[in-house]
Amino acid sequence: MFASLIPDQPEITDLIINHDPATLDRLPVRKHDVLAVFAKFQNQKALAAVHAIPERDGFLDPLAVDRLLLTIHWEMQRLAEEFFHGHRVRQLLDPLISTLRAEGFRGPIRIVDVGTGIGYVIRWLAARTSLAAQGVELVGMDLNSTLVREASRLASAESLPCRFIQGDAFSREASAQIYLSTGVIHHFRGNALGDFLRRHSLPNTHAFVHYDFHPWLLAPLGSWFFHILRMRTAVARHDGVLSTARAHTADVLSSAARAALPDFSSGIYSANIWSTPIPRVFHTLIGVRRELLPTFRTQLGRRVRRLGAMS
Amino acid sequence: MTLLVLYFLASLDGLLCGCRTSMGRCPLIRTRSYYMRTLVRGLLAAQAASLLGLLSLFLVLRFSSHSIALRADLESSAGRMLLIFLPYAAIVLLSLSLRFVPSIDLRSATSVFALGPLTAVRPVIMIVGVLAGIYSSLFWQTRILGVIVLLLMFSIEVVLNYFAARKQAAEILEPLQHE
Repeated sequence: MFASLIPDQPEITDLIINHDPATLDRLPVRKHDVLAVFAKFQNQKALAAVHAIPERDGFLDPLAVDRLLLTIHWEMQRLAEEFFHGHRVRQLLDPLISTLRAEGFRGPIRIVDVGTGIGYVIRWLAARTSLAAQGVELVGMDLNSTLVREASRLASAESLPCRFIQGDAFSREASAQIYLSTGVIHHFRGNALGDFLRRHSLPNTHAFVHYDFHPWLLAPLGSWFFHILRMRTAVARHDGVLSTARAHTADVLSSAARAALPDFSSGIYSANIWSTPIPRVFHTLIGVRRELLPTFRTQLGRRVRRLGAMS
Repeated sequence: MTLLVLYFLASLDGLLCGCRTSMGRCPLIRTRSYYMRTLVRGLLAAQAASLLGLLSLFLVLRFSSHSIALRADLESSAGRMLLIFLPYAAIVLLSLSLRFVPSIDLRSATSVFALGPLTAVRPVIMIVGVLAGIYSSLFWQTRILGVIVLLLMFSIEVVLNYFAARKQAAEILEPLQHE
């Protein structure tokens, strides 16, 4: 196996920035520590990409890291645009919101995008839908202060009705009726996946929708080809390809959700294209409160065929 | 006529280069005007490249002692280039037209199965097209012009990419410096 495809290793962007989980303050990152992680996996591509990041007194230069992260996230937005990700998210959010309304939920509905990055999905929803006018609060949350500031700046530049907060998306103050994420869930490995899912078990939370790469035999090859063509930074290319190798299978996601969240009915949505064996680039782990499932199925309309077996 | 078709293809390539080199460099949601500007930039770059190509052509013809035969040689070379470039352009346009079909899956599939691979083979198509054009040409001037055209076609993307990268770097740095 190629060293850059070993799924046990973290992605470069997981390591080059660090925030104190309690205070959310940014912590310095020693370049040698990052290099040591990838040296252990003999991942030459990652080593070269990390070597190229400027350092100051042995620590990664925070400004250089921020510039790199923003460049990468701008590029990632391009992929989301190319794959019409905003439209995909809307396809599931609309029936979820209708389900809540049909079941008598009259208050404002808060949607929180976990690990929002520069907030593409939330900003897209704010710009291209009337959700905000329908009493839906669109919130993006991330631990990374630089990305949250950038998301806020971009939302402000287009006067979009949404907001971005640095912090824990599952805190009492931030708790949402619907949680969503894109490309985040594969970052939680082993027991951490169950821990992450268990955190959805909040009194206010009715549903979650987590999009991630759909792992299959040719996904790393396809991803490599696509990232070589479309991404310009070595880190984005490396992490994008590694993400497909690290992505959880439908079985892993479903089993983890069912074990962690017994009050939710969960399963995979939209695994294959048009009921053929051809996999979609993304598949979706979806969960709704058990009592909402029948209404949700109705609200999905003809798209209910895309909904896999629900627990 | 053949040269005119080549000119239109170069303009189309410039348009798409302008768009391609600017993708991933604007993080806004409402990007229509941004991409319109990138298309215009690409088109202008293609005009500049075409003008340089045309100047080279005139200079070669002006100082050639057998300009009529050379002109015929150039036209037949351009005709052979079109045999490669036209089908490629047709496939690109067909793939782009599929992006208007209101199906997210189909539109996404065009990226994976068509536009991505077509972007990847573009340099190869350019080289093969020009080589096919000049391979059996009679005059060295035709071959030189073919190589100039090839370099101009490549330079469009390089130049546009350079300026787009500089603009992006400045735009990213500006808010960071105010923090």
